[in-house]
Amino acid sequence: MKNREVDQTITDALALPRLVRLSENLFAASFVLMKLLPARFILDRARDAALIGRGSTIIETTSGTFGLALAMISALRGYNLILVSDPAIDDALKRRLEDLGCRVEIVREPAPVGGYQRARLNRMAELQAEFPDHFWPSQYDNPHNPGAYAPLAELLLEAIGHIDVLVGTVGSGGSMCGTGEYLRTVHPDLKLFGVDTPGSVLFGQPDRKRMLRGLGNSLMPQNLDHSVFDEVHWVAAAEAFRATRLLHQRHALFQGGTSGAAYMVGDWCARRNPDEKVVLILPDEGYRYQDTIYDDEWLHSQDLWLPDPPREPHLVDHPHEAGDRWTRLQWERRSYEQVIGGSFIPAQQSSSFLAGSPSAGD
Amino acid sequence: MVSRQQVYSSSAALQAAPRVEFGYANAHHGEIFQGVLADSGGRLRRGLVSLVCDVMTSEAIFQPDDTGIVSVDPVWKTKARRAVELTLEYLGQREVGGRLVIESTIPPRWGMGSSTSDVTAAIRAACGEIKLSPHIVAALAVQAETASDSLMFGNRAVLFAHREGVIIEDFGGALPPLEVVGFNTDPTGSGVDTLSYTPARYGWREIEAFRPLVGLMRQAVQMQSPHLAGRVATASSRINQRYLPKPHFDKIERLAEDTGALGVQVAHSGTIAGLLFDPGDPSTPERAETAKTMLDELRFTTWQFQSREL
Ligand SMILES: Cc1ncc(COP(=O)(O)O)c(C=O)c1O
Repeated sequence: MKNREVDQTITDALALPRLVRLSENLFAASFVLMKLLPARFILDRARDAALIGRGSTIIETTSGTFGLALAMISALRGYNLILVSDPAIDDALKRRLEDLGCRVEIVREPAPVGGYQRARLNRMAELQAEFPDHFWPSQYDNPHNPGAYAPLAELLLEAIGHIDVLVGTVGSGGSMCGTGEYLRTVHPDLKLFGVDTPGSVLFGQPDRKRMLRGLGNSLMPQNLDHSVFDEVHWVAAAEAFRATRLLHQRHALFQGGTSGAAYMVGDWCARRNPDEKVVLILPDEGYRYQDTIYDDEWLHSQDLWLPDPPREPHLVDHPHEAGDRWTRLQWERRSYEQVIGGSFIPAQQSSSFLAGSPSAGD
Repeated sequence: MVSRQQVYSSSAALQAAPRVEFGYANAHHGEIFQGVLADSGGRLRRGLVSLVCDVMTSEAIFQPDDTGIVSVDPVWKTKARRAVELTLEYLGQREVGGRLVIESTIPPRWGMGSSTSDVTAAIRAACGEIKLSPHIVAALAVQAETASDSLMFGNRAVLFAHREGVIIEDFGGALPPLEVVGFNTDPTGSGVDTLSYTPARYGWREIEAFRPLVGLMRQAVQMQSPHLAGRVATASSRINQRYLPKPHFDKIERLAEDTGALGVQVAHSGTIAGLLFDPGDPSTPERAETAKTMLDELRFTTWQFQSREL
């Protein structure tokens, strides 16, 4: 038996999730801030390669939890962090980031193609020119993002052992592709269920405005390896928010909206396959969403109030058939091109990040 | 510090009644796991989990005298001689020497720990009635032979730093029970020189990929699950294919699948391999026989043993 230990920093203390059993065969990996794992791993590798040290400038574009994780570590290690964000960033988060010493740059106008995400990247390019010695963590294509999830796989295997299905949301692809690949080193038959949202390009839908933040994307990240997924689900905002509340009401788990989306899919999967052990990734806690997802009035005002959650996803053969409600597609570990057909070629695909050259520093 | 004075009260007594001390050690059958792990301070440490195999042994006979000089037969077993010298030194018996005879049934260079078995048997013989803890035996063994396997810990599942001689992690129990169909992947039987080849230089992906293996090892020991131990072994064997590849590994993996084996286990610095089965499963004897027949057809010589509480 190992003695319990004192953590050296709060970022170490919070990096791993709590594991909670939600039913006979459903397990939740419930994070306070999942992005601490990739933020820490990316910055550790950069430090080991002498790319950064105390006083270094780090520039990233994010409006969410990855920025918060970077800001926490930067405050502890004395890095100067500049985050480029858009008006969707909530005020409380912005104040928290600034309290941690981070400079928050807000772009005011979306780009004609690629929306705010493109506009943020453009602003970032300007800042990068201004700070030539900066480090860019680049969560969308840095292989250290998926590479950061070995401690999560270790924890799941240590505590649960055999796992049949891993369910989680996809934004950069880091958490699902990384955790999935690490788990498959010992459980090659593990099924991966990726959760996206309508209007996200990740699994082949046309880009449009989305109310559910944190998962989905307007651009194709290199860290998304489509061929690891057995099944893809699209969950609409109202459904995800309803499920977020159910997770709280039934299990007293106070988590964010992407956790709700994952819970809806995982709960369905576990009920359908009672003999399979299903693990859910719940990426962040609920405090940021108290005035939105946890506020019935807000939900009504946004037309996102859903009295009853849907019971079943709607099965489709092609992403373009997916409507604005919970939909699933049996992806069957195919490449993007194999599923979509047609001519659109996504951003250059990295195959399994574990298959990368073992010694390459990347 | 233990003193040997209680055993040999004087060199005169020693001459009056010459004593013969015996020591035994088992072989091992390669590893369930071998890799590199970062400790909490970020330092990388090499470690392994040996699979102990009691069908082959090394036996040491030590006849102490007061010459202060240790001789060994066969003369080339210098590591065993060195181990006796270190043990006597550790026990504060510099004036004691003697004749050490090693008899071993363990083929060298196959990755079955022949050298560590000799060394461990020699240490056990040299300390006579004094029982040294396995931790001290391990430290002495590593001093004598640079890198040791963890067979002094018997069947206890430990993650052993084989170049430091210390336990990185004790998994808190025995290895899960395993029925092993073993074979040598090198039909010439010439094996590899363990110390001459440079230790694997793992990249960050592999260093990270070892973590889930250790995580599953903890659960495998806690649940005493042959099934999960088999998963760890196969994954570790696959990573090792980049460093000391076993010929026909893909065929071996297919054979494992066809015979319903739980996994493939290899000597990470040797040439032997094993198919793992659950000794508690009634279909195991038949499956093991099928596996042996199929391995025979590939012209591998096979053997079979069960890992059990030692
Ligand atoms: C709250 C939340 N959930 C889920 C995700 C998706 O995780 P990943 O980027 O690893 O695909 C993110 C990503 O930023 C997030 O912030």
